[in-house]
Amino acid sequence: MPSLQLNKLTKQFAEHTALHEVSLTVRDGEIFTLLGPSGCGKSTTLWSIAGLHRPDSGSIAFGDRVVFDHGHVNIEPEHRNCGVVFQSYAIWPHLSVAANVGYPLKLRKTPKAERDRRVREVLELVELGRHADRYPHELSGGQQQRVALARALAHPPDLLLLDEPFSNLDAKLRDRSRQWLKTLQSQVGVTTVFVTHDQDEALSVSDRVAVMDQGKVRQVGTPTEIYEHPADLFVADFVGTANILAATVVEADGAHAVLRVDGVGEPLKVPHTDRRLGPVRICIRPENIEIQRGGGDVRRPHHTLTAKVDNQAYLGDHYRYTIRIGGTPVIVTTTRPAATGELTVSLPPDDIRVFHEEADSNEENHHAPVH
Amino acid sequence: MSTAQLRPPPAHTPPSPVKRPRRRWLSTNASHYILWALALLVIVGSVIPVVAAAVWSTPLYESGGHLTWDNFDALLTDRDWWTAVTNSILFAALNTAGSLLVGVTCALFLTRTDVPGRRVLTTFLLVPIALPGLVLIIGWAAMWTPAGFASSWLEANTVLSMPVDLYSIPGMAMVAMSVASPTVFLLCRGTLLSIDPSLEDAARTSGASPLRSLLSVSLPLMRPAITNAALLVFALSMEVLGLPLILGFSNKISLISTYLYDHWVNESQQGLVSAGAVFLLITVSALLVLRNRLVGDTARFTTTTGKPTGVRVLKLGPARWFTAAAIAFFLLVFVAVPLAGVFLAAFTSILSPFISPWSVLTFSNFSAVFENPLYTDSIVNSLLIATVGGALTTLAIAVLSVIAHRSRFRFRGSLQQGMLWPRMMPALVTGMAFFWSFALLDRSGAIRASLWGIGIAFAVRSLALGYSAFYPALAGIGADLDNAARTSGATWWTAMRTVVLRLVAPAMGASFVLLFVAMLNDAEPAVFLVTDETPVLGLTMLQLAATSIGGTVAALGVIQMVITLVVLGAGRALLGVRPRA
Ligand SMILES: Nc1ncnc2c1ncn2[C@@H]1O[C@H](COP(=O)(O)OP(=O)(O)O)[C@@H](O)[C@H]1O
Ligand SMILES: [Mg+2]
Repeated sequence: MPSLQLNKLTKQFAEHTALHEVSLTVRDGEIFTLLGPSGCGKSTTLWSIAGLHRPDSGSIAFGDRVVFDHGHVNIEPEHRNCGVVFQSYAIWPHLSVAANVGYPLKLRKTPKAERDRRVREVLELVELGRHADRYPHELSGGQQQRVALARALAHPPDLLLLDEPFSNLDAKLRDRSRQWLKTLQSQVGVTTVFVTHDQDEALSVSDRVAVMDQGKVRQVGTPTEIYEHPADLFVADFVGTANILAATVVEADGAHAVLRVDGVGEPLKVPHTDRRLGPVRICIRPENIEIQRGGGDVRRPHHTLTAKVDNQAYLGDHYRYTIRIGGTPVIVTTTRPAATGELTVSLPPDDIRVFHEEADSNEENHHAPVH
Repeated sequence: MSTAQLRPPPAHTPPSPVKRPRRRWLSTNASHYILWALALLVIVGSVIPVVAAAVWSTPLYESGGHLTWDNFDALLTDRDWWTAVTNSILFAALNTAGSLLVGVTCALFLTRTDVPGRRVLTTFLLVPIALPGLVLIIGWAAMWTPAGFASSWLEANTVLSMPVDLYSIPGMAMVAMSVASPTVFLLCRGTLLSIDPSLEDAARTSGASPLRSLLSVSLPLMRPAITNAALLVFALSMEVLGLPLILGFSNKISLISTYLYDHWVNESQQGLVSAGAVFLLITVSALLVLRNRLVGDTARFTTTTGKPTGVRVLKLGPARWFTAAAIAFFLLVFVAVPLAGVFLAAFTSILSPFISPWSVLTFSNFSAVFENPLYTDSIVNSLLIATVGGALTTLAIAVLSVIAHRSRFRFRGSLQQGMLWPRMMPALVTGMAFFWSFALLDRSGAIRASLWGIGIAFAVRSLALGYSAFYPALAGIGADLDNAARTSGATWWTAMRTVVLRLVAPAMGASFVLLFVAMLNDAEPAVFLVTDETPVLGLTMLQLAATSIGGTVAALGVIQMVITLVVLGAGRALLGVRPRA
């Protein structure tokens, strides 16, 4: 199973740049997810890999096989040997389930007996063995989605490409399908590129994630890296919920920085590798903010603050409070209810991420993930 | 265990040899280029010889000659030409005005009010669109000309009379209205049905009466549709040949089309006629380009929500009976009586108000048709062209459409335009274009001597019709479906063949039905192409009707009508084909 390399892929639609020098390496056998808001260029990237779009420049290689190199090579989609699951599933309504799945094999002139065996095998794999003779309109959404997956796996492909495959399913089924896909992928072992705009989905199925925005890659990393060490404010904000506060760096030695946060009395000392001083934005996750409970006598960490609760909500598995720190609304979540009216909280320095404000284009370079 | 076989070969085994693209004898892209060039050559390129013939001193099939403006000189200094132009404009203007009045009124009343019998009236109004063009004219001529059956009957038995002489420009416009009005009706009805009823509701909640909200909100929204219909009717009136040939020619009223016909057939002034054709082409194309501009703009006005649900029906009160009677009267005079006339003329030996038609019932007109080889040949030839030509044209449309809409072919845009281009071409110009093209490229005359010559001309002429019936179905098939085939390993052509064309097969059937009917009945392009061996039904009838309206031509009309309605009926039942404006 080859790896996949994208090198400085650029694609322009009329005036609009959909991909801006996208470079990525997908390792052999992993599930690699492209995550980003709708319109950021995920599908365009995927379609360029499949050969359905022709990028304006850059190159694409499957292992050592170059399938696209601007101006020199552009292998047609039928010769790239990818399996693609489209967002719409794109199951052919005039063919039965078995004929849909057998189509790639038929094109490869697989003998009939072997083809039938293989179709049965793949349909068993996606748990649709009993539906081989049905027609697509007789299947539920979840089943159609699995037919699409079976068809993509039939040949078998060098590379599996999935474009928001679960976005048309209801929430419960979507969750089941993710786990099912992850198990299936590890069994089959095919290198997989998965596209989604749903951060939960990205974090739960991926080996590694690339976060994209406006045709650029903002960060590549494991789900943990992306969530805990976002490279920039965009990633922090897009993946999960982030409280973003204004602050000023007053001291920085390359390992730690001392911050003054608007609305927090004492300065905070946080891990930070940059030496620059001045205004910054800090980010902290709602679940990382510690709620101080108990009586007034208990000794508190020195950087606590007390704020009025603006808003509270019970969400079944957790509680959510909105307070204000220095005028900025901040969300705090906890699994145990806290006192109403006022909340005393502290901001654990280790969970605070610091971002300097700067021109968009340089962000990913300056804020390489810290780990 | 099944998963074990799915696992890729371990990394250390040498990778299986990559399947190289098989060398096909023709790459997809090359095949696109070839088909594109062929299509544009036939569709658009055929016009070039007309222009050449207009500016060349001798006919193109003779050698020698030189560049000259003489043909244009002769045309522009011919008083008869200018009379013909004036007459054509007058005819077109009268027809447009009358059809708009009738079409828009009927659209408003039949879709938005509670006029009794709306469905029946609507069906009757649309009948002329489904019928072959000549049939209704033959009926008008049999019934409403001064000596016609219905006119004479009225004169003899009542105080009423037919106020308009059909052998005049207003008379011809009146006949033309019976076909043009339903066209206007269809275009306007579509818009009316798609107007969001809540727009009118908004006017009503602001205090407007139902009628007032209809007139102040919906009528303005129909403006683009009305402009569109007006330009279309006007452009088609400028080029129509059958009607002026039957009603105007014998009375020395000449229109542009009959002027060209006469100078070609009777005086062999081919250069002059080519110059006139160039003039006609420019005029009609300009009108239709203008129309496309305006239609393009209609997107701004569309309030389409897709489904014609929730159409508000306006209560007219007692006036609804009066309205229904008025529309019914119009349909009686314009549709029912002429249609009855065709049948009467076909099944009687003599049609006169002084003899009861029942006493002279006969099949002799039909036996006369079937005994005359000219007529039987015409019918057989037309059926051949309609069947074989219709099928081949449908296939060509399907192939060109998928290249135009489903490929990454560089010039696909020009192919889309190219398929609509024949719409801009007056029928006479199409015929002449192929006359000159064959004269230049096929010196042996083999193509013209066979049915292929007329068949190709008819095919090009009905290309846009078939394409516009086919395209919506193609557009309705998600691009992912062919992309999925491509990524599964199908070449572009395989993906089209196994997925896209399979899925649009019903639309191809519908397209075939429309092409069959159009090619069965077409006449004008054949004027220039016909030979003694290749008579076709439409032209034979036209030539016969131009000299006299007798039982024979009516019998041919009935035959033509029956075939047309049977095919359309089958198409509608099997494929949901609807007549198109
Ligand atoms: N065929 C196209 N023509 C013009 N613009 C396109 C086309 N396909 C995509 N785009 C634009 O490119 C951008 C990226 O699109 P896409 O890759 O589909 O985003 P997503 O991340 O939602 O999958 C969008 O702004 C979209 O509008
Ligand atoms: Mg997308």
